[in-house]
Amino acid sequence: MAAMFPAAASTKKAKYISSRKGFVRRRSVNALMLVLTGAVTLLALIPLFWIIGYVLLKGGQYINIDFFTQLPRPAGIPGGGVLNAIEGTIMLTIVAGVIAIPIGSLSAFYAAYHPNTPLGIALRFGTDVLAGIPSIVVGIFGYALVVRPTGHFSLLAGGIAMAIIMLPTTIRTTEEMIKLVPTNLREGSLALGSSEWKTAFKVTFPAALSGIVTGFLLSLARASGETAPLLFTALGNTNFDIARLINGGIASGQSVIAIIGNILLQPTDSLALTLFKYSQDPSIDRINQSWAVAFVLLLLILVINIIARAWVESRAAKLRG
Amino acid sequence: MHSNRLTIVSILAIAAILLAACAPSTGTPAGTSAPASVQINGAGSTFAQPVYDAWIYAYQSVDPSVTLNYQGTGSGAGITAILDNTIDFAGSDALLTAAQYTQGKDLQMYPIMAGAIVPIYNITFNGTPPANKPLILNGKTLAGIYNATITMWNDPAILALNPDLASFLPAAKITAVHRSDGSGTTQLFTLALSAFSSSWTAGSGTSIQWPVDTAGNGIGGKGNPGVAAAVQNTPNSIGYVEFSYAISNKIAFASMINQAGILVVASADTLASAMNDFATNFNDKLTNTIVDAPGQTSWPIAGYTYIILHTSSSTDCTKELKLLQFINWALTSPTAAQIATNLGFATLPGSVQPTVLTALGQVTCNGQPVLK
Repeated sequence: MAAMFPAAASTKKAKYISSRKGFVRRRSVNALMLVLTGAVTLLALIPLFWIIGYVLLKGGQYINIDFFTQLPRPAGIPGGGVLNAIEGTIMLTIVAGVIAIPIGSLSAFYAAYHPNTPLGIALRFGTDVLAGIPSIVVGIFGYALVVRPTGHFSLLAGGIAMAIIMLPTTIRTTEEMIKLVPTNLREGSLALGSSEWKTAFKVTFPAALSGIVTGFLLSLARASGETAPLLFTALGNTNFDIARLINGGIASGQSVIAIIGNILLQPTDSLALTLFKYSQDPSIDRINQSWAVAFVLLLLILVINIIARAWVESRAAKLRG
Repeated sequence: MHSNRLTIVSILAIAAILLAACAPSTGTPAGTSAPASVQINGAGSTFAQPVYDAWIYAYQSVDPSVTLNYQGTGSGAGITAILDNTIDFAGSDALLTAAQYTQGKDLQMYPIMAGAIVPIYNITFNGTPPANKPLILNGKTLAGIYNATITMWNDPAILALNPDLASFLPAAKITAVHRSDGSGTTQLFTLALSAFSSSWTAGSGTSIQWPVDTAGNGIGGKGNPGVAAAVQNTPNSIGYVEFSYAISNKIAFASMINQAGILVVASADTLASAMNDFATNFNDKLTNTIVDAPGQTSWPIAGYTYIILHTSSSTDCTKELKLLQFINWALTSPTAAQIATNLGFATLPGSVQPTVLTALGQVTCNGQPVLK
């Protein structure tokens, strides 16, 4: 019985395939599905190109040199730029990165090496939960944790909030990348007598590096587009100007550490925050500028993404050759 | 392999430097050395923001050693921030409550100037109505619109007030725009509605339960800019904003029939008239309410806007001095007054200004008066 069934099925199938009716039906279903999936793929691509195209078109026409080099002017006085927001975004990203990279990558190592320990399980669970927390909640958390105790809306508070947004992505991608490194490689290193940490840093980490960096840059790009965590932490600062802060610090004979500390404690602006504020403004100047801000923000994120890709490509090429 | 080790080492080094930089800076009070550049942060009222922004811009050339930052978060958020000690001054057109005075211990409100609130509208008329004939409203009608008892633009009450526009007003539903955030503008507006009409039972405050929301015809906008933008983008809507938002964005605003029964247009003169009606009503907290003024030429929806400061708990005397000098400049300099009047605000009455300046002189830092 058991042997008969497949035989019977295959004769039936063969008959069906060879029949003209079956052929037409398969061809037409195939064509239909091809058209359907192709159309849906196009549909999925439309928003991406539409958004990019529309923002570049609308925003591009309001871009000029002043936009990158000047601080904002009050409503009604034409001109001015968003230097404060550009500098603020860069500084926030640096602070967030400096906090999120070490914490994220080291804890990911722990989780990848000890996946079934209570701490490893807790980290993975915690990361998933953290990834699901609305970013506005992270902002309120930053307000309660940093802003209130220090008495300052600040770059530091904004950076910490952004780091919290970045952590889940950083930890998860790093962990995945470490897990992808063949166990043989690790075992080989251990067999040759190197210690566990040496294996981790000299064998596993380099092998996983390109993936880790990509994950990090992507989380950076995501975080730099966040507004909600900054509303309660960075506040916004139309006069945030690093050059002025540094010059002022030097003029009064402050140490480098005091100047850095002073910069970290200033409220700051970001492109996303400026976009949020300007886009709600009734003034046509501000609306136009908000398109230009969107343009710069999009460009910044595109550049970060392109750097991530280029880095991975070049490393892959190096590893191959 | 070498470049990888370098990457790790540099990442760790940056982390170490940052930790080292943060630790002392958060612990040191900022006033120990006299920095060349003082950063002062304020937040709150969007009602007064056009003036504060312009003042801060102009003040850069008066005192380049101070960097001021004002964020229009709404009066409610400004008050919260000054109560939490997270900003140096708050802008507010809402009055502090007794509980807030207690919580803030040494808070004081200083009137800075007065502004008018105007009903702005965006009506899709039937045909082309005569030019220079703005919509006319009275207090009861305005309260009726926000009460959702008047829901159509061709309501008999509106038609009766606007004979010139009667044939052009559409049979369209009125969308009433109000503030979504805690707002001093809302407090002044709802105070006025309460004074205008006994049927306005929703009360007054920085944020209230709007009857028009319950009826499904209300929408919220964040800050004065948000309300102005919402009205611009919503056909057949009405909203309320500080005068300068209507002027600078060229949004149509309504004229009002005031308590005396006279038709008035928002302007520096009608605002000054409302201020004069109540010129002697400043209480010991230096606050005053000027809605529904009885004068013949008085604009009915207006209010003072205030700066809120801690009067004795500051420990950064340089910063406090720079802040008080700025406020002093704002209240006394002809340039500052010109900026305010150009934007449709009115400076303090001559009888009040000296009182405010004296009060500013009583602010102390570490027990010493700041202004000498």
